[in-house]
Amino acid sequence: MSTRDFREFIGKLEQEGQLVRFHEEILPEPDVRGVGRGAVDLGPTGPAVLMDNIKGYKGKQLALNVHGSWANYAIMMGMPKNTSLKEMFYELARRWDRYPGEVKRVNNPVCQQNVIRKNINLYEIFPLFRVNPYDGGCYFAKASVVTNDLDEPDEFDKTNVGMYRLQVQGPDTIGLGALPFHDLGMHVRHAEAANRPLPIAICLGVHPMLSVMACTPIAYGKSEYKYAAALDGAPMEIAKALTSDLDIPAGCEYVIEGKVLPRQRFPEAPFGEFPGTYSGGRNQLRIQVEAVTHRNDPILENMYTGRSWSELDTIIGLSTCVPLYQQLRETMPEVTAVNALYQHGLTVIVAVDNKFGHYAKTVAMRLASTPHGVSYCKNIILVDGSVDPFDLVQVMWALSTRVRPAKDVIVIAPTPGHPTEPSSDPKGISGKVIIDATTPAYPDTTGPQYRLVDKVENTEIFRKRIVELQQATGR
Amino acid sequence: MQCARCLADTASVVAHAPDGSGAWEMIYCARCNFSWRTSDEDQYINPARREQIFQYEGLDLETLPTVMPIAPLRK
Repeated sequence: MSTRDFREFIGKLEQEGQLVRFHEEILPEPDVRGVGRGAVDLGPTGPAVLMDNIKGYKGKQLALNVHGSWANYAIMMGMPKNTSLKEMFYELARRWDRYPGEVKRVNNPVCQQNVIRKNINLYEIFPLFRVNPYDGGCYFAKASVVTNDLDEPDEFDKTNVGMYRLQVQGPDTIGLGALPFHDLGMHVRHAEAANRPLPIAICLGVHPMLSVMACTPIAYGKSEYKYAAALDGAPMEIAKALTSDLDIPAGCEYVIEGKVLPRQRFPEAPFGEFPGTYSGGRNQLRIQVEAVTHRNDPILENMYTGRSWSELDTIIGLSTCVPLYQQLRETMPEVTAVNALYQHGLTVIVAVDNKFGHYAKTVAMRLASTPHGVSYCKNIILVDGSVDPFDLVQVMWALSTRVRPAKDVIVIAPTPGHPTEPSSDPKGISGKVIIDATTPAYPDTTGPQYRLVDKVENTEIFRKRIVELQQATGR
Repeated sequence: MQCARCLADTASVVAHAPDGSGAWEMIYCARCNFSWRTSDEDQYINPARREQIFQYEGLDLETLPTVMPIAPLRK
């Protein structure tokens, strides 16, 4: 059930009715933005959209919302498109443990079928659009950016594939949004300490599982390629870049190769960021582009981000949940599931049984001190192990009926926060709130004063039968 | 040409619609790195109509935060 590359995945989505071809003529701004927003607003079954008639870019292909719905995500996982979130979560967690997957080196990769080295004009090569109206320019919002650690260039597992924002700044230069705590930040630091340009490859339209891993926080020294292979169940095909020794995804649609200029910064931004707010202007890194390569009839993949729910929330959601779940379960096996879908885990719902009174609260404290939890994981909600944390109706029921305000709400502040999170004050400083909606356990003195109504068994077969009967009505 | 954001005379046309339709030109400011398309909505590219919070007029660009500090040179 594995997928070879982005092009094959586009075909799978189309076969499953999860991709539409949009041939009507539209303007780059504001229409493409509207298409992206409209597709993701269709919710868990919304399709990817492939456009080919953008005014001024006629014939150039642009895909949006490829990861923008849970149906598309399930197809990527090789599962039925109506698979529940909870089932996908457990399947992703199961595959996570298969790390490392394999990589397979390829010569003459399709991503280099066409090479542009002279007169590069990114605005004319790519069907770009301004993602949000007040962005500082056109961005590549869904690129997998490849860099190496110049101090250890032969360490394959330290090659980083990450999703960072990239603002086109003139025909052949690109602003690069790096942060010190990213793996890219470490590569930049080492290159700038040596005053050396850092080779970089911006890969667009990559294997869908590699896109997922490019925006998943994993430990430095773990390979995104090997994780993507483990999750997909087949080797990731890689090849050498043209202008550097970087390993790039062989089957991707486009590659922009260049160098990060050392020890210089240039105005960049704003950009509509993952919390649904604009980042402020800042001085950032710059890439000097040296070559663009692409497949025949290339498809540019880009992403609409803005107010939640957006494609960014889907692509980043489940792969944020799984590492947190596994880190908690290392010492707290009572944890049954973690829902960290909201703004990259700023709000998290943990399902856990109290093995004794107020135990769940200590699970929240552990979550708050995981590597990701330190700066994210601001609002932590605890529910019983029998509550599905992905079903917000069940979560609201738990909150409504279990929380004793005087005992079950804890505020810890100040703590580290995320600088882009708008309520962070000052930027990068926040706090934690723990809301415990689990059923009390001994020796919690109030004890459970109630008996929950049991779940009804055998609903699965009857639910399926009812669906069949409803479908048979033909309306 | 005047930049729609920083209002300096540092903007110029850097690209044309590649399909030859003449549908738009792309304008780029070499000073503040703002870019816009001539076909974009007026309220986002007309300095008189853009929201003030996004304008750079009179702003010393050096004062923008550098979120990725430059590492000391290794000896």
